[in-house]
Amino acid sequence: MDPTGLRAGALMPAPAPGAIEGAPRPDDIDALAVRIRFHPDQSPMTATPPRAMPAAQAITLAFAPIHKRAFGVAVGLATGLVVFLVTVIWLLRGGQGLINLWILGNYFAGYTPTWGGAFLGFGWGFFTGFVAGWFLAFARNFVIATSLFLIRARSDLETTRDFLDHI
Amino acid sequence: MATQEPELQTALLRLNARAWGIAFALLLGGGLFLATIILVVKGGPNVGQHLSLLRVFLPGYRVTYLGSFIGFVYGFVIGYAIGRLIGSVYNRLVS
Repeated sequence: MDPTGLRAGALMPAPAPGAIEGAPRPDDIDALAVRIRFHPDQSPMTATPPRAMPAAQAITLAFAPIHKRAFGVAVGLATGLVVFLVTVIWLLRGGQGLINLWILGNYFAGYTPTWGGAFLGFGWGFFTGFVAGWFLAFARNFVIATSLFLIRARSDLETTRDFLDHI
Repeated sequence: MATQEPELQTALLRLNARAWGIAFALLLGGGLFLATIILVVKGGPNVGQHLSLLRVFLPGYRVTYLGSFIGFVYGFVIGYAIGRLIGSVYNRLVS
């Protein structure tokens, strides 16, 4: 039991080469700030560590891009399964006259509400879902990257403001 | 910030499969509930003649007040399955 509340190895890793022995590291400062924020009535030396993640980790997670191909495959698989199951249920219930699945053939070339068509529909659904998922991930990553660029640009501008004041 | 930039560029987002499941579930369930209830409230001689075709795939579903709640449950279950599938498959491919 560590009486300081700072678990060795978790919040106080070995000092980096060249660092001053005993000096606080940025990670320690982050953890300390989180602790003071969530436990203002407890001493930082005795409070139990909160489960909040460090700020740097949270920012990294917030701006992390989506893997486009993986997301495309995931959405494609889900879409393909939906088309497949819809066709199978339609066939099992003898869907003649209930709902017209034939019109899906207008979008999915060669598709018919048959057992063979169910597998073809899975292929078409996978393709359509993959394209939709890939583009969705691309658009999301694009917006995040643009936001990140603007935040950095504003930050850089802020740091040079006082320079402009002196000329 | 400079030391964190490589992390920002290389870290890939991992999805919370359960959160995606619940989000899809609420979207699909809520969407079907609203679509049904709006048609019921509007009324008319042949209420929801097209939406009621969903009964082929969702046994017990009707375009009525009760049917809107049944549709919500169906939409929630199906949506959860879809969202969970997307989250799980994505995480498995990324890891």
